[in-house]
Amino acid sequence: MIEIKGLAKAFAISKSNKLSATEKQDVRYSDKAFHSVRDVSFQCGPGEVLGLLGPNGAGKTTTLRMLSTALKQDSGSVFINGIDVLQKPIQARKEIGFLSADTGLYGKLTAFENIAYFARLHGMKEAALKTRIDELFTLLDMHNFANRRVDTMSTGMKQKTAIARAVVHSPKVVILDEPTTGLDIMTVQTVLDFITSLKEQGTPVIFSTHHLDEVSALCDRVVVIDKGISSFAGSLEQFKQLTPDGDLRQAFLAVIANQPQQGAA
Amino acid sequence: MWQVYFKELTELLRDKKTLIFVILLPILIFPVLFGIVGLVMATTTSKAMEQQHRYVIINEQQAPEFAEALFYHKNFKKVDTTLSTEQELVAAIRNNEFDVALVIPADFASRKAAVQQTEWQLIYNRSSQLDFMYNYFDDMLSSYTAELQRATLSQLGVDPANLNAIIKPVQLSRVNTAEQRENLGESMGAILAYALVLLCLTGAMYPAVDMGAGEKERGTLETLLICPVSRTAIVLGKFLTVLTTALMTALITVVSLGVWGAIISAFADLSKVSEALASITVLDLVLMFSLLLPTAAIFASLLLAISIYARTFKEAQNYMSPLTILVIVPLMVAMAPGMELSVTTALIPLTNIALAIKELLKGTADYGLLALIFASTTALACALIAFCVHWFQQEKVLFR
Repeated sequence: MIEIKGLAKAFAISKSNKLSATEKQDVRYSDKAFHSVRDVSFQCGPGEVLGLLGPNGAGKTTTLRMLSTALKQDSGSVFINGIDVLQKPIQARKEIGFLSADTGLYGKLTAFENIAYFARLHGMKEAALKTRIDELFTLLDMHNFANRRVDTMSTGMKQKTAIARAVVHSPKVVILDEPTTGLDIMTVQTVLDFITSLKEQGTPVIFSTHHLDEVSALCDRVVVIDKGISSFAGSLEQFKQLTPDGDLRQAFLAVIANQPQQGAA
Repeated sequence: MWQVYFKELTELLRDKKTLIFVILLPILIFPVLFGIVGLVMATTTSKAMEQQHRYVIINEQQAPEFAEALFYHKNFKKVDTTLSTEQELVAAIRNNEFDVALVIPADFASRKAAVQQTEWQLIYNRSSQLDFMYNYFDDMLSSYTAELQRATLSQLGVDPANLNAIIKPVQLSRVNTAEQRENLGESMGAILAYALVLLCLTGAMYPAVDMGAGEKERGTLETLLICPVSRTAIVLGKFLTVLTTALMTALITVVSLGVWGAIISAFADLSKVSEALASITVLDLVLMFSLLLPTAAIFASLLLAISIYARTFKEAQNYMSPLTILVIVPLMVAMAPGMELSVTTALIPLTNIALAIKELLKGTADYGLLALIFASTTALACALIAFCVHWFQQEKVLFR
């Protein structure tokens, strides 16, 4: 279970950085800071897939970074399975599997070594680690490039390795930041199948995306972030009902044009 | 921390650039350095020694014995001239008509007979680094004047048995109290310290860039930060890896120096160098390494802090370039003539290490001062490691 309430995060602006005319009109800029996330609230329960939507620069990645404990929020709260990420970040990290927009892999290590490294950092013992990696290699069809160095792999192979790396410790929640960006159709399908399998296992999944077809196919819940505020947070059905014909693109544009519209969070 | 350390080390060992900077460069730097310097010196010297200088001699009839000796010298070739004034001779040398002009005064013979001193003039271009030509003249003139002195004194009725005592009443013979090792330490110590400290820096530089800015650029840092490991453990793991490569570079350099020194000594039959090297004890080497340890820690923490701050590989390299100059300056100070290890110099970072290594090589190190250097350098290293750990906790640094 992931619960987020009133999340906010600002970054100091360097004195040498002069704001452009557009930035001066943006409500997120003040004299000294850029308020990347101002007020984001949502929750995602067991077996739910939550699609995080929003224009570029809306605050999606910052929100996910706070969720994953990479950044500390200025205000608001994040609970992962009841664990406050601000109070107990190390404990919370054990619960999280995170896949960033970059694959986050080490080029000079093999697929096995990359996954094993992160498994060890999660405190897994050697025997358990090998069994789990073997299981993931079978699940993602990775045996044929298990001992190949990442810098010689195709994009698809890298993405599979990154997925295996993110879930090697069997996380209780999974966060994916634009996991299908720049991938070919076959690899996208692998990622989507993987999200489906997580959903079937009852793992809450949050993923940010620009692809509304993926939202339509996978998501139970939708959150739209715009200018650092969760303008919409509700079920997929509620999101569709924002427009008469249930078109997701129109619904998204309607939320951006008329923020905020709160569904049943 | 150890998981991070071993993973970083594995990656570095698979990287060609690391292998070049940490292993190949220290192994090859001394033979290449000695080889190039030796080759250049040998070629230049041999060329200078074989060179034949064109000369003119004015009023040669005043000193026919000297003119004859010059004529038969293998490094000189006579050129006939009608020029006589200094301005004319200078202009002719500048026009490359000949290389040198010797002007003997027109009244030299008569002044010699009257036992009066005269001045000869040697006109030539002195810009050459290896001034062999002047040495040839000086040698010939010494022999010639010695003969003149003897002839004049005999003419004045001095007993030939007393000639040596009159010409040179005091002869100075030198007895060197410095051991061979001390001489070697004095001439080689500063250069070795310079190379060791600088190689510690270069050995640490590439891994440090890769482990901070490199991780940011590849997008792996964020993944690492959300693992259930404290950021202190992560940064210490990285710090230890950079420290290891810096020390490996220094260690390989010392071993390489020893091996190549032994090879050169054996082939060149430099028994004095071999004896001097053999007199350096294991304790001296251990002490040298102990001093390099906190120095390498200083470099590792500084470079890692810079690398963590930088957004890209290139940005990190740009920040690190001025650091190299900041390191070279105190090392150059240590190489200055007359710089000795004292309580004051023992507190100047890097200068103290270079001076201490020189003293250790000479075998004249003051252990009290070595302890002071070790303590001050370790204190600085600890402060910088603490800063590096603090730096790695800062969001504004990690997510610039």
